[in-house]
Amino acid sequence: MNLKRVLFQVALALVTIGSAPSTLFAQPGAFGGGFGPPLQTVAPPKAFATSEEHYKFLLSQAKGGTKHTLTTVPRCDGLWVTAGNTHMNMFIDTGSFAGKVRPGVLTPEYEKAYRERWRQQTELGEVQYDRLTHCEPPGYPRWLLEPYSHEFVNLPGESYFINDFGPAIRRVYINQEHKNVFGTHSWYGDTIGFWNGSTLVTHTKFLLPADFTRWSPMTSNQFESVETWQLKTYPGGVERLEVQVTFYDRYAFTKPVSAVYAFRRAKDLEAAGHRVQHWECETSNNDVVTDKGGTTSRLPGEAGFKDPRGTTLFPELPGQSRDPIYNTSLPAKKEK
Amino acid sequence: MRTASRVLAVTVVASLLTATVALAHHSFAMFDKSVEKVATGTVVRWEFNVPHSWLRMNVKNPDGTETLWSFEGSAPTSLLQRGITGSTFEPGNVITVSYCPLKDGRPGGGLGWARLANGTFVNPADGGCNGSPQAIEKWKGWLKEGYTSSADALKGK
Repeated sequence: MNLKRVLFQVALALVTIGSAPSTLFAQPGAFGGGFGPPLQTVAPPKAFATSEEHYKFLLSQAKGGTKHTLTTVPRCDGLWVTAGNTHMNMFIDTGSFAGKVRPGVLTPEYEKAYRERWRQQTELGEVQYDRLTHCEPPGYPRWLLEPYSHEFVNLPGESYFINDFGPAIRRVYINQEHKNVFGTHSWYGDTIGFWNGSTLVTHTKFLLPADFTRWSPMTSNQFESVETWQLKTYPGGVERLEVQVTFYDRYAFTKPVSAVYAFRRAKDLEAAGHRVQHWECETSNNDVVTDKGGTTSRLPGEAGFKDPRGTTLFPELPGQSRDPIYNTSLPAKKEK
Repeated sequence: MRTASRVLAVTVVASLLTATVALAHHSFAMFDKSVEKVATGTVVRWEFNVPHSWLRMNVKNPDGTETLWSFEGSAPTSLLQRGITGSTFEPGNVITVSYCPLKDGRPGGGLGWARLANGTFVNPADGGCNGSPQAIEKWKGWLKEGYTSSADALKGK
């Protein structure tokens, strides 16, 4: 076999891989992987009973943390996109869609629920319905995995982690204690953090029940995490933000689990003129759950269809169209 | 050797650029991905929206009437990396698309590839259908033979 033929076959294989849906990949190729070396999960330095204990240990190791100023705080300017993660390795023996649920990682109730999700994924090819369909926020930890574009803004007293599904801004309160004056939990919870040199360590709690994604386990309202964020550079100009995370959930996990998520600097998107936008729930309003628990979409002209670019409540006023470029309209039945 | 290296390099870049983002805010179970069909029609609207784009297109029926079809594509973030913008499909454009139909038979589907009026093929697909360069190459052959359904094309082989 000559070299030309080998190279051709490699090229053909790469086309096949590249053109397949990313969900087919084993880690770390999925969700934008392939930039930089394979991701390796780093377990915590020792076992901790709670996330609080874990965070306080890291804070003490960092001797209270680095106090950055506006000129010294590490910066992550520009647009970023997801660059792989190892989250499936926590729950699936192969870490890919060809594997089986790892027994004993989840508590019996959560494992039972997850096995049904995994059955749908493996037997039907897809989990039939996603809670995000009716505009429910992704929440945390799903925030770490969702694609689309991101921005990371670091200030001495706060960091802002922005994903363009909306609204999904995580705020990290640097060198502060947790607060919960609302007396409730929320989709992204309350995140505090400290800098250890150029590494950002965070602690997140007060979260609503959510999930890792629709084909991964659900999480409870006791879900908490400790993250360490590091910016790394690799040959080929790859800038990768790597987030080592340990998840704690006394209802969902038999013991804490760890994974690494990554984001890469997306200069290609910047060159294409991309701007961070927000998800438009108006369009998602047309995606609905069926009576059999599946997913479908209402189409224009069908009862209940909501035109995402229709006129406002004041259609007679100039400039009220949401579609000023093309001024198109779709047929729709009037709702009674 | 040099040619082979170039083929490899171009292919690697192309495959990275066309990898689809199948993470979405909903499941793609509503589309029948075992069947790919082709439709030609006039663009009514291109909704270049996050989290999903939608292409609304009038397609002529055999009796001369028109039906408004809806095809769901990927998110702008992914599409921009494939050279597709909010102006790629403009109202009035006559284009051809491949799609995986809604399982319940309504006029809609997951968008695969699209052939623009100037003959250029683009890949606006998400997880609902296959719009990859490989699918485009396969369909170029089938289109030449007059097929508009993958089932018919495979039967005819």
